[in-house]
Amino acid sequence: MSQMKFEIPKIELMKSGHVACPGCGASMAMRYALKALGQNTMIVIPACCWAIIDGPSPCSVNGVPVFHTAFETAAITATGIKAGLSRQGDNDTTVMAWAGDGGTFDIGLQALSGAAERNEDIIYVCYDNEAYMNTGIQRSSATPWGAWTTTTPTKTPKSRPKKNIIDILLAHHIPYVATASVAYPDDFIRKMKKAKSIRGMKFIQILSPCPPGWKSAPEQSVHISRLAVNSKVFPLYEVEDGYRYKISLNHKNIPVEEYLKHQGRFKHLSKEQIKQIQVDTDTKWEVLMKKVEMGELFSEN
Amino acid sequence: MKKNALDFKEGMPVSAMSITDMSKNKTGSWRYMRPYYQNKTAPCIKGCPTGEKIPDYFDKVKAGKFEEAWHIILEDNPLPGVCGRVCYHPCEGACNRKDLDSPIAINNMERFVADQNMANGYPKHFHVEKTEMKIAIIGSGPAGLSAAYQLARKGHAVTIYESLAQPGGMLQMGIPKYRLPREVLKKEIKDIQTLGVKIKTKCTVGKDISWQNLQMSYDAVLIATGAIKSRPLNIPGEEKKGIAPGLQFLREFNLDDKKEIKRKVVVVGGGNTAIDCARSAVRLGADVTIVYRRSHKEMPAVPEEIEEAEAEGVKINYLTNPVEFIGDSRVRKIRLIRMELGEPDDDGRRRSVEVQGSEFEIEADQVMLAIGEIPALDFLPDSINAQWGRVDVDSFQMTNNRGVFACGDSANGPIGTVVDAIATGKNSAFTIDAFLNDKSYHFINNNNVVGFDKINLDYFHKEERPAEARSDQTKLTNNFSEVNLGLDKDQAKNEAERCFSCGYCTTCDTCLVFCPDVAITHSDNGAPYTINYDYCKGCGICVYECPRDAMAFEEEIKWKTE
Amino acid sequence: MENGVITAGLEKYFNPETTEEVKVTEGTHAASYAVGLARVKVISAYPITPQTSIVEKLSEMCASGEIDAEFIKVESEHSAMACVIGSESTGARSFTATSSQGLALMHEELHWAAGARLPVVMVNVNRALGAPWNIWADQSDSLAQRDTGWVQLYAESNQEVLDMVLQAYRLAEEIMLPVMVNMDAFFLSHTTEPVAIPKQHLVDQFLPGYNPKFKMDIKDPRAFGGLATPDRYMELRYNIQKSMEGALDLIPKIADEYDAIIKRHHGGLVEEYLTEDAEYLLVTSGTITGTSRIVVDAFRNKGIKVGLLKMRVFRPFPVKVVQESAGRAKKIAVIDRNISFGQSGIFFNELKSALYNLETRPLINGYVAGLGGRDVTPSTIEKVINHLIAAEKGEDLIWMELNYESDEI
Repeated sequence: MSQMKFEIPKIELMKSGHVACPGCGASMAMRYALKALGQNTMIVIPACCWAIIDGPSPCSVNGVPVFHTAFETAAITATGIKAGLSRQGDNDTTVMAWAGDGGTFDIGLQALSGAAERNEDIIYVCYDNEAYMNTGIQRSSATPWGAWTTTTPTKTPKSRPKKNIIDILLAHHIPYVATASVAYPDDFIRKMKKAKSIRGMKFIQILSPCPPGWKSAPEQSVHISRLAVNSKVFPLYEVEDGYRYKISLNHKNIPVEEYLKHQGRFKHLSKEQIKQIQVDTDTKWEVLMKKVEMGELFSEN
Repeated sequence: MKKNALDFKEGMPVSAMSITDMSKNKTGSWRYMRPYYQNKTAPCIKGCPTGEKIPDYFDKVKAGKFEEAWHIILEDNPLPGVCGRVCYHPCEGACNRKDLDSPIAINNMERFVADQNMANGYPKHFHVEKTEMKIAIIGSGPAGLSAAYQLARKGHAVTIYESLAQPGGMLQMGIPKYRLPREVLKKEIKDIQTLGVKIKTKCTVGKDISWQNLQMSYDAVLIATGAIKSRPLNIPGEEKKGIAPGLQFLREFNLDDKKEIKRKVVVVGGGNTAIDCARSAVRLGADVTIVYRRSHKEMPAVPEEIEEAEAEGVKINYLTNPVEFIGDSRVRKIRLIRMELGEPDDDGRRRSVEVQGSEFEIEADQVMLAIGEIPALDFLPDSINAQWGRVDVDSFQMTNNRGVFACGDSANGPIGTVVDAIATGKNSAFTIDAFLNDKSYHFINNNNVVGFDKINLDYFHKEERPAEARSDQTKLTNNFSEVNLGLDKDQAKNEAERCFSCGYCTTCDTCLVFCPDVAITHSDNGAPYTINYDYCKGCGICVYECPRDAMAFEEEIKWKTE
Repeated sequence: MENGVITAGLEKYFNPETTEEVKVTEGTHAASYAVGLARVKVISAYPITPQTSIVEKLSEMCASGEIDAEFIKVESEHSAMACVIGSESTGARSFTATSSQGLALMHEELHWAAGARLPVVMVNVNRALGAPWNIWADQSDSLAQRDTGWVQLYAESNQEVLDMVLQAYRLAEEIMLPVMVNMDAFFLSHTTEPVAIPKQHLVDQFLPGYNPKFKMDIKDPRAFGGLATPDRYMELRYNIQKSMEGALDLIPKIADEYDAIIKRHHGGLVEEYLTEDAEYLLVTSGTITGTSRIVVDAFRNKGIKVGLLKMRVFRPFPVKVVQESAGRAKKIAVIDRNISFGQSGIFFNELKSALYNLETRPLINGYVAGLGGRDVTPSTIEKVINHLIAAEKGEDLIWMELNYESDEI
C-alpha cells in the first residue's frame, strides 16, 4: 500500500461546538476514543482542559454520560462508577477516566496507582500535553527536559526528564498498557477497542499536541504528533500482561530536531542541548527494544 | 413521599447537569482563516499537451470503472490506444512521484484503459444535435483525426481528405507495428467514424479536388497534412542508390509490406523516426548502425525506445555526422566526422561542432536519412502565409485566410509528436467551432500546478512503478509482434493507487478524520465533503494534512469582503 | 444476656416484634450492621483508628455473603470519598467511614459530594486531629467540615448509631445531600452495648431501594458537574441551602416514621430531657449526653431545675428548636468536646448565634471539655452546672479541668 488509508468508525459521539482551542489534540483524541468505544461508554473527567472543553453546564458536547470530578480522582471515581454499575447488573458499560498529564503523572498518581494495583475494570486515558495547559502552561512531571513553560522560563528550562508513566503503570502488572497518537487514528482506535475488550485495568497514554502550550501552529498538530512518533520521542507501542511488548508501527528514523523545531517551547535550545535530547531519545529507544526482546523471551517460555 | 431534589426548576435542573449539547456554541466565529476545497492542476495534466485529466480517470481505475475512465480520456483525446503506446509521455516527466521514487506509468495506464475498452463503442451522449456546419480537414493523421472527432462531437459535419489508401497518417505509415498494432489504430479511427466523420481516402487535394472547390464547399478548412517530406543532408553522394529517406522505407514497409533490406544499414538521425527505421531494419535481418551527431543526452527519441533498440542490437554512433557518401552508383561507404558539443542553440540543445581532421569511414549498403521531416504544402494557394515551410497560424490555429485553419506538424507550433498533433487538432476544433458560431474562445489555462513540495509525504510510502511485461523478442527476425504488453488489472489499479492525485480530491477522508471540531462531513450535494463553517475554527489541520494539496486556506476577511 | 436472643427483662428496651436479634456489640459494628440492613451496594474505605472495626466487620460481611456489596479497599480516604461519589452517581447506594485525619483528607471531596447532590452516607468516628498524634474522642474533625454541605448527625449510643445510619439514608436520598453520622471514638466505637438489630423486612419497608431520577445512565446521557458560570453557580448554592432547610422538617418526620415501623425513637433534631421547666439548661452532644443525664437527675433530686438538651443535628443547625427549647431557660451551659481556635467551642458558638435574635436572651456559657479523649466525668459536669448557677454574666470560653494553673475550673 503506497498510500495511508483510514478505517475509522463512522459514529460521531463527540459533537461540534466544544471549546477546545483550534488544533487541539485532546479534542481529536476524544473523538477517536468515542468512535472506538461507542455509545455504551461513560467518561470521568477530572480538572483538565476537557473539564472546560465539554462545555459549561447545562451543556455537554459528548453524547455519552460524563461525570466531572476533582483533580486527583479520575481513576477512583471511574472505579466507583464501574462498581455502582456492576452492582446494579450492568457489566458491559465501559468506564473511561479521561485525564491530562497533571491529573495523571502528578496529583492523580496515587489514585491511579491504587486503581491499577486493584486492577479495576476501567480504561484510564491520559491525554498528555506535557504541562498544566488549562491553568496556563505550568510545568508538570510530564514536561520534557529542556522545555519552556511559564514556571520553567527559558533561563531555567525544565532540568529533569519527563516521568516515565508507562513504566510506572507496568510496575502494577495490569493487563494492558499502550501509547497512542492522534496522528495515527487507526492505531489509536484499534488500541481503544482492544482496551475495551480486556477486563481489568487498561492504561493508554496519548501525546496530545497543544498549540498554545507548545507554541506551535494549530495546523501542524497532526504533523508534530507524527514527528514525535517517528523521532521516537513518543514511540507507539503496547504492553500486555506487563511484559509482552509490541511496537505498533515502523518508526522512521527522524532526528529529534525535526520534532523540536516546530515548537516554540524548544526554540531556546542550543545545538548541544538538542544533541543531548537525541542521545537520550536513542538510549530510551534502545532500552525499549531490549524490553521487546525480553518480552519475546518470556513469551516463548 | 419521595421527592427528588434533583428536579427541574423553571426549566433548569437543580444540580449542574447537562440538558443539551453545545450546538448553540457556533465556534465558527473564532475563525480567521478559512479552509476550503480547491482542486488544482496536477503537473501531469499540465505536462500533457492534450490536458488529459489523469488523476480523474485514475480515480475510476481505482474503482474498477474502466469505461468511465475511458470516457474521461475521450474528452481530450480520441486515440488513447495509440497514445498509450506511442506517446513520448511528457506527463511522466512532469509527475511529482518521480521525486519520491519513480513517476507513475501514466502512458501505460492510458493504454490499459484503452485496451480495456477495445470492445466498447462511444457512449450515447457523444451523439449530439447536428449543426448545419461543414468542415473539411486535409489529412487523417493524429491532428486531423483529433480535430475531426472534437468537431463531430459538437455536431458539425466533418469530411477528411486523405491522399493515401488508409487513414492514420504517420500512425499508419510511420510507426512500426511492433509499437502500434494496426487493429488498435483501426478501432480508434472506426470509433471516430461512428460519430459521422467521413474519411475520403486516395483523395489528394490539388489533384483529386481543387483547393478552391474545397474552400467554397465548406464553412471551414483545416490543414492537417503533417510533415512527411524528409529533409536532405545536402552532402556529396546523397543521390546514390541505396540512400533514401527513412520515412519512405517505413511507408513502403508499413503500407505496401515491402521487405527489401540490405545487410549493412546505416540510419542517420536521432529522432523517433530514426529508431523506428533501425528497429524495423533489425527485424528484417539487417546489421544496423545509427549515426547521430550529438550525444545520448540530446537524442530526441524516447529514451525507452533507444534502450530497446540497443538491446535489440542496434549500434549507435554518437557525436558523428556524415560528410560524404562513397560508392559507384550505389552507396558502399559513409565518410563520417567526429563531432563535439558546443554552446546551446535556440532550442536549448548543445550545438554539435565538427572536430577537424577526425574523418573516418564505415561500410554501408543502405542508408536511411531520418534527420527530420517538413510539411509538403504544394497544394496551398500562395495567399496563405507560410514560414519556414510551415503554415503560419495565430494562437487560434487560424491562417491569415479567415476560415482556413492549420494544425499539427503542417502548422507552426510544437512539432513532431503524436500528442502535440492531437492537442493542436483539438484546439483547432474548439476555435473553429467558436469561429463558426461567432463566439470568442479562451483556452483553459492550467496555472495552479501542484509542486512536489505541496505533497504531504507522510501519506505515501516508497514503491517503484511496475515493470512492464514484454513479449518474447529473442527471435527478432520477422517478428513484428508488439513488444510492450502493458499492465494487467492489478498493476493498473495499484498504479492508480500509487498516484499522488496532485491537487485532486480522492475522498481519502484525511480532512474528515483529523478535524478536531467534527466540522467536516461527507457531502450529499456531489462535492466530496462539506465544511460546516458554523463550527470550523479554522485550525487548518485539514489543509495542512491534505496529502495532495486539494484544499486551500485563505484569510476569512477576504471571504467576507467578497 | 447472650447474643442472638432477647433475654427476659430486656423486652422493655428492645421490641421483640421489630427486633431480629440483640447483639452485644461495639458502636463500629452497629454501624456495619446498619450498612448491611440498608442494602448498600458499594462500600469504599481506608483504614484509620478507630474506624477500622467498621470496615473489618464489613469486609467479613461481604466475604460471607451476608451482604451483597462491592467493597473497594482504596489507597486513601480521599479516594474512598471519590469512589462513593462515583458509585452514587450511578444510583448505587454507597457507604464509607472514616475518622479524624482521614476526614480532613476527604475535605475536598466532601464539597464535591454535596455539590454533586449525591446522597452518600458516611460514619465518622470523632477523633482528635494531629499534631500531635492522638486517637481519642474529639469532635474537631467533623465540626471542621461544617461548611461542606453535609448533614451532620451525632449519636449518643450504639443503638442510636445503627438507627441513625438507616435514617441517614432516608434523609440523604430525599434531599439529595450527603449525611455524616458521628460517634465518639472509643466511648462508642469500642464500647460494647446491647444493640437491637431490626428485622430486615421492616428496614426494607422504611428504606426502599434507591432510584434517582437523574443518574449516570447510557440511555439518558448527561454530563454532571460541568463548569457553572457566575450566572448559574449562585442558584445551585441556593438550591443546596433550600434542601438543607428541608432537612429540618424531614429529620423529625423520618424519626417518627422509623418509630412507627421499627418502634424506636431517639429524638428528632434534638432530644429534650427535663427542659420544660428547666432554669438551667445543659446542652451536649455525643456521649457526654449520657453522663449528663445522671448529673441532671442528681440536681433535680436536690430541687434545682436543671434540664438537658441533646443536639442530634449540627447541620442543618436547628435554630428554631433551639430558640424554643433553650429560650425558655435562664442560663445555658454548652459543653463542647471541640474547639475553634481563636473563638470558642463550636456548638456554643452556633447556639449563641441562634439565640441572638430572641427578644429576651438567656445567659449562655461555653465550656470546653474532654478534648483528645479526656474523660468527662459526672464530677466535671457537676462543676459545669455549679459554675453556671453562680455565673452573673455569660462567658464564651471556660476550659474544664485543665492541668494548668490558669483560668480553668
